[in-house]
Amino acid sequence: MSKRIVIDPITRIEGHLRIECEVENGKVSKAWTSGQMWRGIENIVKGRDAREVWLFTQRICGV
Amino acid sequence: MKIKDIASVSKQLGVSRREFLKYCSIVAAGMGLPLGAGEQIAEAVTSAARRPPVIWLSAQECTGCSESLLRATHPTFEHLILDLISLDYHETLSTPSGHQAEAARAASIKANKGEFILVVDGAIPVKDNGIYCMIAGKTALDILKETAKECKAIIAMGSCSSWGGVPSADPNPTGATGVQKILTDAGIKTPVVTIPGCPPNPYNFLSTVLYFVTFKKLPELDDLARPKFAYGRLIHENCERRPHFDAGRFATEFGDENHRKGYCLYKLGCKGPETHANCPSILFGDTGAGTWPVGTGHPCFGCTEKGIGFHKPLFSRASLHMVTPPDTYPHVVEHQGKSALAGIAVAAAAAGAAYVAVDKVAKKLGDDDGKGKK
Repeated sequence: MSKRIVIDPITRIEGHLRIECEVENGKVSKAWTSGQMWRGIENIVKGRDAREVWLFTQRICGV
Repeated sequence: MKIKDIASVSKQLGVSRREFLKYCSIVAAGMGLPLGAGEQIAEAVTSAARRPPVIWLSAQECTGCSESLLRATHPTFEHLILDLISLDYHETLSTPSGHQAEAARAASIKANKGEFILVVDGAIPVKDNGIYCMIAGKTALDILKETAKECKAIIAMGSCSSWGGVPSADPNPTGATGVQKILTDAGIKTPVVTIPGCPPNPYNFLSTVLYFVTFKKLPELDDLARPKFAYGRLIHENCERRPHFDAGRFATEFGDENHRKGYCLYKLGCKGPETHANCPSILFGDTGAGTWPVGTGHPCFGCTEKGIGFHKPLFSRASLHMVTPPDTYPHVVEHQGKSALAGIAVAAAAAGAAYVAVDKVAKKLGDDDGKGKK
């Protein structure tokens, strides 16, 4: 009999992370991680003047 | 003032009493408060029955705003933010994860209903019912709306939560929106202060918090809800390169002679003339030693100003609101080169000196104008 555990939010990291895992007989048998936030920076920089792309990509993570 | 209390706070913060009072006075001076306000702040901070509770929500953010506050080179500030307020929830700093962290948030909201300060960093995505930012299975949009009703005041920390910031850049894929707009649209009337900047200077945030703690009200705000003490003036007004602007001396290319000389960056797209912030006075990000963008030779890109930062192309010229642009003068660099030639030539002719040699020098000056041969 497996048990599912959800940990959301994962703290002490940058961004919003969620972890789900299945525990069988005291051991993790399956696990899934997912980022819970999307800004679409890939779409924002598409077609932009290459000289100003750093402005956006630099801000993917501020840590 | 209770000397004993200050002594105990100083001990708690690991700074001397003198340091602590000096710090409070600097904060007061930074806000343009009258003499003695620093002592009032010190007293409010030390005599408070308990630390003001703060809940910090993160949405579409990069954590840069938190980093700005927690920079290790600024221990006094770090201690103040961690020891003088009670930070009950902050995803990046919270020790527990998952449901335990969420329980701490719920408990604090319940215990401090109507009393706590809500800080938000990151924009709130509204497209597709806000699914682009989820925390503990709820959208950031829902969490903001329910928490905003319970708190005393909201501080939108950074450009993203102030007006959308980076994620709201065209084509704004997720419908990233600022806190104030969301609350206005939802009819929630909790007062909002915006501290835009990418990231904002930590002093602007801390000064606002201390003002609130001391005087039990928000500082005077402009029509975009920015504290006037920090955003009352354009960068252009206090810029260290302003004399060059007024004299028509501009860098026209990165690395050209005028750029190396430290001339005005307006023609490289500096948004200082249309951006309100106190960067020239207290420097961007509190990095010190003149290392704010303009100080290092890069144009300001207008991060604090809605519709400028991340929206107006980086190298497009700013709109000038306050002065006649020296742009209407004859082309600056050529003008200077030609004047120099004429001046030198006249002097040389009068002195009967070697005209040809001077002509060569003058030609060389002309070549250095950024338009000449490289």
